[in-house]
Amino acid sequence: MSDAEGAQAAARPTAWWTGLTARQWLGYALAAGFWGWLVLRWVNDWFLPPGVGTGRGQPFIAVAPIRAAAASMQATAAAGGPYAVVAGWLAGLLSALAFVVPALPALAEGVWLTLVLTVASITLAFPIAVLLSTARVYGGAGVRWLALAYTELIRGTPLLAQLFVLFFGLGLTTYIRAVPGVGTGFIPDQAIWVAVIGFTINSSAYQSEYLRSALQSVRPGQLTAARAIGLSQLGGLRYVVLPQSFRYAIPGWSNELVYLIKYSSLAAFITVPELFFRAQAIASTTFRYTAMFTLVALFYLAIVLSASHVMHWVERTTAIPGIGGSRVRQL
Amino acid sequence: MSRLLEVEDVVKSFGSNVVLDGVTFGMDRGDTTILIGPSGSGKSTLLRCINRLTELDSGTITLDGVEVTAPGADVNAIRRDIGMVFQHFNLFAHLTALENVTLGLRRVKEVPKAEAVERGRAELEQVGLIEQADQYPAELSGGQQQRVGIARALAMDPKLMLFDEPTSALDPELIGEVLEVMDDLAARGMTMLVVSHEMGFARSAATEMLVLDGGVIVESGPPAQLFEAPEHERTRRFLSRLTEMEAGG
Amino acid sequence: MMAPLQLSDWVFVFDNAGYLLGGAVVTVLLTLSSVLLGFVVGFPFGAVEVYGSGWLRRLVVGFGTLFRGTPIVVIIVYFYFVLQVSNSAFLTATLALGLRSAAYQSQIFRGSLQSVDEGQFEAARAIGLPRLGAIRYVVVPQALRRSVPSFQNEFTIVLKDTSIAFAIGLGELLKRSRDLFISPAHGGTAVFEIVVFMSAIYFVLTFTTNRGLDWVNARYAVPTGEGT
Repeated sequence: MSDAEGAQAAARPTAWWTGLTARQWLGYALAAGFWGWLVLRWVNDWFLPPGVGTGRGQPFIAVAPIRAAAASMQATAAAGGPYAVVAGWLAGLLSALAFVVPALPALAEGVWLTLVLTVASITLAFPIAVLLSTARVYGGAGVRWLALAYTELIRGTPLLAQLFVLFFGLGLTTYIRAVPGVGTGFIPDQAIWVAVIGFTINSSAYQSEYLRSALQSVRPGQLTAARAIGLSQLGGLRYVVLPQSFRYAIPGWSNELVYLIKYSSLAAFITVPELFFRAQAIASTTFRYTAMFTLVALFYLAIVLSASHVMHWVERTTAIPGIGGSRVRQL
Repeated sequence: MSRLLEVEDVVKSFGSNVVLDGVTFGMDRGDTTILIGPSGSGKSTLLRCINRLTELDSGTITLDGVEVTAPGADVNAIRRDIGMVFQHFNLFAHLTALENVTLGLRRVKEVPKAEAVERGRAELEQVGLIEQADQYPAELSGGQQQRVGIARALAMDPKLMLFDEPTSALDPELIGEVLEVMDDLAARGMTMLVVSHEMGFARSAATEMLVLDGGVIVESGPPAQLFEAPEHERTRRFLSRLTEMEAGG
Repeated sequence: MMAPLQLSDWVFVFDNAGYLLGGAVVTVLLTLSSVLLGFVVGFPFGAVEVYGSGWLRRLVVGFGTLFRGTPIVVIIVYFYFVLQVSNSAFLTATLALGLRSAAYQSQIFRGSLQSVDEGQFEAARAIGLPRLGAIRYVVVPQALRRSVPSFQNEFTIVLKDTSIAFAIGLGELLKRSRDLFISPAHGGTAVFEIVVFMSAIYFVLTFTTNRGLDWVNARYAVPTGEGT
């Protein structure tokens, strides 16, 4: 476009929702539906007083009509005729739906725990990771060795093994249960605490690796220049090096977030009733393996894809030209 | 009498930017033509259109009677007859100097290994790098890498050699060794089309100089003639600046 | 209260070390088979993502999103209980871990194929190599060597993920450790020692693998120096 047109376009900012493809619209619609339903479910179950909305654990949609529709489809299929095959499929679909709908409230509670585990662990692990990574890059020999040993041990053993050490080996639940208030009201049960501790320790080691390589990506001249204007080592790190290194670390963090969302499912093996635990529990009592596991796979996909998109957005908004993968600003 | 290379009315645009706006010229066997012009005037693009690394928008290019730009043309066969030397060398990083030279012989011309190695060593000898035959590109200096690049192109027995700013990425003290090889090549009768700022080479080895400006060839003729009596003021200023740079260093 | 560390517990562990090490063997075999499957599927998928187009590429991208977006435990359980691909837990686990690894390895190879600079590809075309030949003789050899560090990472990830096959009853290291610590034979006091021993075995496995692949990387890396 000509210079005049270009200048005009820059002056008139376009809304972000113009220029979206049909596929993107579909994605946003599905995401809005998924998260909207979840929020409604949570609000309904925990915040609405009894009598308002449906009860806790009661599905929003009535199941009976779906079952009736499934039965009638089944009848059409049995009767034969041109629509038998299609009717048979629809019958199967509707009966699966009739089964799935009552299970949804339990799954929603599971999603909540999955999110709690993920967010709590990644947040708590962050300050530990900062300490570890700065120790590895800037610390003296002793501190550096300790940090290395910690990271190598944690990254060299499976997450499930670590959870087993904490839950079965150390029996942490016994100690945590003794703490007053655990398991009451909104405070999670002891098993959840153990899971959070396990994920935090694990995540801190991985995050420290991302941060360490991010710290090393910052050009050494930056710290030298910071010292040269009179900042201390700590000040130089805090005001110059770390802010830059965070931009480099963002891809690693998106990775870590997605990883935790998926691996939070392992908490099921130490009795935490998160999403996978719920799905497995329902599946093994009703033998509806296909429906439950397909549904739970879709749930995880939805959460992971939403998280990825959010992280992409974060990366774009915090990008500084010349640092990390950000593109140079088009002038 | 048809010429070895005929370029007729070549037009190429990138988006709204018209880079080549009807370029026409020709070369005979044995000619050494040097192509000069301001930055962004399309010199590299023109070279890349000749071996179809870049596809032109309109116009025709004919090499030794074969129309390079014909829609059904066998591009790979055409490229066997054209050698290209790149500004950034583009040597195959995972192969030794010798392997770089023999790859085309073995995988394109399907020459047996022993014969290819013999030919490869001869080419490296010709550019003065027989000692470095088993070294990797990362172990060679820029000038050495470029000479391997020339040997690699020559091993294919091309009818035409294209040089895309062959010395622009080299440290000053390494330029000489590459120009020496190019001088030698010209003297041996190779047909060469060279994009370069090296006026010394233009004076010593080039039979014709083309000035590309604004997407068209604005002047052409023997280098001596253009240095002494250029038709266009822009050409005169451009040439004098180049010779100043050379003299001043 | 947790019983204090007892020598008798460690004796129990070492008495059963053979059983646990048998599990370690299963772990290693499962890792090897899964990583191999992941390579055989992942490399072509990565190449399709870089060079392919149309429905084939969309299929590959969709596969990747699916297998990278769902937890491995869901994949394993799905393959075993829903799809019922095999009665053998080992085969099912290999398939599940292998396809998941393929989804990640395709990204590794996509990155390394794209990292070989365009100029070398052009030089290969300029001497008359067809597109496939240029990819085969110039791009792929370098891409494979550049992939080794990421491949090393993926290998240890798969090794650790084999522990999740315990969910379908495969007798690998974690399951055997669990069988041991829930058994009444040690009176419930050796749990800590068992899980620590198990973790130590895992650590030795990952450590050796990493050093081994470090050696491969050093031996086969494309020489990089100044220049290029």
